[in-house]
Amino acid sequence: MEEQIAKLTEDCSAEIASAASESELYSVKVRYLGKSGLISELMKGMRNVPPEQRPAMGKIVNEARSALEARFSARGKELHDKELADRLAAEKIDITIDRNRPVGRLHPLSSVKKRLVDFFVSMGFDVMDGPEVETDYYNFEALNVPKDHPARDMQDTFFIDEGILLRSQTSASQVRYMEKVKPPIKMISPGRVFRNDDDATHSPVFHQLEGLVVDKGITMCDLKGILDMFAKHFFGKDTQVRFRPSYFPFTEPSVEVDVSCAMCHGAGCRICKGTGWIEILGAGIVNRKVLRTCGIDPDEYTGFAFGFGIDRIANIIHSIPHIKLLYENDVRFLRQF
Amino acid sequence: MKLPICWLKEFADIGDASPEDVAASLLRVGFEVEEIIYAGADIENVVVGKVIDCKPHENSDHLHICMVDVASEILQIVCGAPNVNTGDVVPCALVGARLPGGVNIKAGELRGVTSYGMLCSGAELGIDDTVIEGAEVDGLLQLPKDTPLGTDIRKVLGLDEYVLDVSVTANRPDCQSVVGLAREVAASMGVKFKAPVNKYRTVPYAGEYMPTVAIKSDICSRYTGRLIKDVKIESSPKWMRDRLRLVGVRPINNIVDITNYVLFEIGQPLHSFDVRFIDKGIIVRNAAEGEKITALDGKEYTLSGDMLVIADSSKPVAIAGVMGGEYSGIMPDTSSVFLEAARFERRSVRVTSRRLGLRSDSSARYEKGVDYGSVDEGRERALALIYKLGAGKIVDVKSDAGVPEPEKKVIETTAAQISSVIGIDIDKPSIEKILRSLDIKVEGKGDKLICTVPVYREDIEDYADLSEEVIRYYGYDNLEPTFMKSASCTLGGVSEKDKRSDDVKNILCGMGAFEAMTYSFVNENACDMLRLDAGDARRNVLKLRNPLNEDTAVMRTQLTHEMIATLALNKSRGNDDFRLFELGRIFIPAAQGELPEERTALSIGAVGKDEDFYEMKSMVNAVLGYFGAEARMEYGSQPYLHPGISADIFVGEERIGSFGEVHPTVCENYGLTGKAYIAELDLEKLLAMPRGDVRYSPISRFPCVNRDLAVVVDDGCGVGDIMASIRQACGSEIESVELFDIYKGEQIAAGSKSLAFSLKFRSLDKTLADADVQKLMTAVIDRLKADYGAQLR
Repeated sequence: MEEQIAKLTEDCSAEIASAASESELYSVKVRYLGKSGLISELMKGMRNVPPEQRPAMGKIVNEARSALEARFSARGKELHDKELADRLAAEKIDITIDRNRPVGRLHPLSSVKKRLVDFFVSMGFDVMDGPEVETDYYNFEALNVPKDHPARDMQDTFFIDEGILLRSQTSASQVRYMEKVKPPIKMISPGRVFRNDDDATHSPVFHQLEGLVVDKGITMCDLKGILDMFAKHFFGKDTQVRFRPSYFPFTEPSVEVDVSCAMCHGAGCRICKGTGWIEILGAGIVNRKVLRTCGIDPDEYTGFAFGFGIDRIANIIHSIPHIKLLYENDVRFLRQF
Repeated sequence: MKLPICWLKEFADIGDASPEDVAASLLRVGFEVEEIIYAGADIENVVVGKVIDCKPHENSDHLHICMVDVASEILQIVCGAPNVNTGDVVPCALVGARLPGGVNIKAGELRGVTSYGMLCSGAELGIDDTVIEGAEVDGLLQLPKDTPLGTDIRKVLGLDEYVLDVSVTANRPDCQSVVGLAREVAASMGVKFKAPVNKYRTVPYAGEYMPTVAIKSDICSRYTGRLIKDVKIESSPKWMRDRLRLVGVRPINNIVDITNYVLFEIGQPLHSFDVRFIDKGIIVRNAAEGEKITALDGKEYTLSGDMLVIADSSKPVAIAGVMGGEYSGIMPDTSSVFLEAARFERRSVRVTSRRLGLRSDSSARYEKGVDYGSVDEGRERALALIYKLGAGKIVDVKSDAGVPEPEKKVIETTAAQISSVIGIDIDKPSIEKILRSLDIKVEGKGDKLICTVPVYREDIEDYADLSEEVIRYYGYDNLEPTFMKSASCTLGGVSEKDKRSDDVKNILCGMGAFEAMTYSFVNENACDMLRLDAGDARRNVLKLRNPLNEDTAVMRTQLTHEMIATLALNKSRGNDDFRLFELGRIFIPAAQGELPEERTALSIGAVGKDEDFYEMKSMVNAVLGYFGAEARMEYGSQPYLHPGISADIFVGEERIGSFGEVHPTVCENYGLTGKAYIAELDLEKLLAMPRGDVRYSPISRFPCVNRDLAVVVDDGCGVGDIMASIRQACGSEIESVELFDIYKGEQIAAGSKSLAFSLKFRSLDKTLADADVQKLMTAVIDRLKADYGAQLR
């Protein structure tokens, strides 16, 4: 009997090893270890074993059974792993194929405006929105530009009616704001402006951001401080800021502000037209007359104002060569930002 | 303002400073130089040559073979000019020369003889007789025989000059002149300013006819006239002609040239009348309404009562500051001249010039503002030049009217006050030095600075203006950046409306749409292209008075027009699968003279193979969902949309928008091929909706039960309506209803459809038993039978 067991164990082990699949292994298991399997059949032969040997024999059979079960289990796991691995291998796909749910993007002018707004809001600036169709009073007169003043020639304005126009500058929001809010004032007003000017470098519609600070003891140095910080934030840490004397009717003194060219770092290139500097905004100390018009005492308060073109900043940041590209809305353009 | 360096040198001691140095010195103090122009830029490698031998070409009846001495060598040049002779001194273009019009000179063979250059006519050098006499003859330009050989022709022609094109800001009309800019350059470079010195002699008045002057309008504050007799009209000297040409003025004759010269040098427009045509006296008066005058340009102009004329006793002889009348000009036989120097209000000249559509150098100058001082300054300069040129005899008689000069402005300030605007302390001596260099008289008494402003600085009114002068010259580079150390803390932020607009943009970006930005004005035919009804409110538009062109004629009352146009543009460029949105303002006209209402609107557009009505609806629903708006939809009413594939969106009773497939005719109107989907919503109402408090609602802990339901209903029934009914029938115990199949065809009666829904039930309080679910299902079926005549399938 012992021999039979040994033979059976050996045969079974061989069949376990050669089983090629989980199902084949299962049928082997049934044949050997099943209720009427070969081991059970063998156990029937126990009757012929002398009673005193039965316990020992039983032990041998049970050990053989356990050993085989362990082998079945080990081989079963092996086959299972292999089959899973084969299946996974067979399920392999081509991951280079794309199925895109495209995600849209903000217009570059929107995202640049948002960055600008975030920058100034973080310093306590309030954001003001003004009408795009504006009165002559807010766009010009209250800003110290009386009718037929030559300064009006600086801006070709679209007119709707007597005294009503498309605002040519976001500075129009200054007076509206100061009529409502008294110092301390920190305000920006981003928005759309219009000028009757349409050529390769001008669009009749563009965007500006006006800034205004009015408080006690505000100086030109404060203007330089904030614009320095602004320039470094937007154009890089090494950016230099240069003030040049200029003229705006609503500021005195007035300056044009240049930043060092981020492309060539001052060496001179196409972007800065060889000068090393890029003109980005106009600014100055709020004209005393404007403060007075808004009911703010210019002997008590001073302020500075600045205004720049969002389109221009966007074009510089993104190296966009023509302002017109911004308003064409070709999706191949819009996808890039 | 054109500033020739040679002219500048007369008044500012700039020595050998380069044009670039001068430009930089101007930029520092606020005058941008737009361009440095070299007057001889068109001509290169042309020198003075002498024809030392000239013989006829053997193979030609008109060509000559010349030997030309250009100092450095002797060149063989074949010449076709009729006037070439041995001994001529002429311009000679060397091999490699460049002439106006981009002509390049190379060595070449002419009928077998090699020519090493070209002898030039005046025309070939792009010049006429005003540059040099003989420039207009048919043939070579004959230069004076003593012209040194080999000299660069640009030197001979007065073209070896640099001119700065200076941009002068509107507050500095005094710098619209060579002298004004010279003062700034001198101060900026720290060199001497040499004011013009005007010397002349007069002849005694001998009772000649001299018009009297009377001012009868407050548009003219000063009018002065002088009499010049024995005028000899001839051409002005070369130096004057050269300078005029450098500023772009064509020389005419000595008297006219002198008035133009003074206009550019001093900035004072002058007018010279032929005395023969002034009847009695000069009256400066407003024009009579409808009064007519024929100007020097030969055209007749009809004037209005607010325009100023210079008149004699019977007729207007000039439109003040703009242009003289037809007989007022200088003629070849003019012998007595009445020279006008006056100050007219810039506003009046500007309005008159614009309204008449008539511009001149004079009106351009007056529009910018002519100060009191320059009237005398300019007149004296002109008289000195007339004397210098011997153009006539200045009679010792005056016809002056008006205020000679206003009181000088005196500003009392302190160094501290001037520094307070700037933010750095600038000491009193530095301030005084700067102000004095600008012709401002400064008296220092203790702390005080008493500043007397020259009359031509009309822009300086108070200490802030003086601060600007000081920092302009002290240098902005000396500012120390500070950070509002004295300012109070303020609370900044973005408005709720802006935040929500940004959220809407982000939602649409997340759904694959790109943000577009279009112009705020459109073509007036936009409403026609959209097939809007004649009575549609959107046809009431704000019109621009001065549009750029018809595409920018009216303010938009909707965003749809530009969205469809943008879809069409993209498709025409081969972009055929994309989504766009725009969030912008529309303009609803208000009463005459009042500002329009500006409303924020949203448009969405989509084209592509996977786009359909439902895709667009999902975007619209996402936006409505963001605002928590209770919206209702009905079949669309908009004429630009497909009537069966579009919907109107209602919030309450108000239609706030529409969306759907673009109507095929509209597609055709825009040249848009294929299908397109579009939505437009008035966001104003949604943006104004209060942001509701968000409160937690409990989540059921009990299991759910799923059931499917198939019903047959009339084809006209809306699935959305049926789903709403299912929800209503179940109350709170239904969690979701989803449509998973629509079937029409075999086994279903024509005109009907089969709908299959999967329903998910769940209760907040208990595990739903079979019986509970059965009850709910029965309620659903009963409801659908009652509302839609539904048959269970």
